[in-house]
Amino acid sequence: MNLPMDLNLLIFLISAMLALISSLLVVFHRSIVYSAFFLSMVGIANALLFSLLGFPIIALFHLIVYVGAAVTFILFSLVMMREVPTVEPGLKVAALSSLVLAALVLSRIFLSVSAQPSFYLEYRELTSILVERYWFALIVASFALVTTLIEAITLARREV
Amino acid sequence: MEVQYYLLLSAALLSIGIYGILTRRNMIRMLLSAEIIFNAALLSLLSLASLDASYGTVGGALAVIAISLSAAEVGVVVSIAILMFRMRGTLDTYELRKFRG
Repeated sequence: MNLPMDLNLLIFLISAMLALISSLLVVFHRSIVYSAFFLSMVGIANALLFSLLGFPIIALFHLIVYVGAAVTFILFSLVMMREVPTVEPGLKVAALSSLVLAALVLSRIFLSVSAQPSFYLEYRELTSILVERYWFALIVASFALVTTLIEAITLARREV
Repeated sequence: MEVQYYLLLSAALLSIGIYGILTRRNMIRMLLSAEIIFNAALLSLLSLASLDASYGTVGGALAVIAISLSAAEVGVVVSIAILMFRMRGTLDTYELRKFRG
């Protein structure tokens, strides 16, 4: 199913503006917690752009691993420190915008539309190239993730 | 959409990230700025990879590995930040000078 070009342009403009504004807020916002939240917004906007470029699998992976794990890990780690400012009310607009954005990203990915019809990344092709050509890098990445998990468990148990 | 627009956006994100790294002393804030740079690099990688089908699969595989390694990097840096906060009570990177022998 192909969406019209104008809709692709509109989605690009929305996600580009969101990425730029969110990244500026990451740098300039006073609260670190809100900065981490806006980083997740940058990740979601980037996932939208990836799907526009014809990489819906990478977009989903980015959402799951980066936004879902890495940024959430930063947010939870900030709770362990005393410098976290008190949570202020008035986040309804941000929460609503994130909800709309998440729905937009997922619908865009699931519709499997690419802006450039000449290219579309296939899941089988990606899997085969990962296993056959980049197996060593995949093993290194797996070890790095396991190491991070062990570090997190060690810190959580206060053994250091 | 032309790929140049994606590359321009990634350049803008890269500039914002570099500004954040250079102007902040808090370790977590520096990490967040570095993550903006990572997002910019990933966007430029996939923009260039989408130009040709033969590049596309390789770029996608590299992006998967880069996202995994970035998640691991976030974990390591946040662990170091928590340790530093417990030892020094601050996240100011200028305090790291005191760790030198």
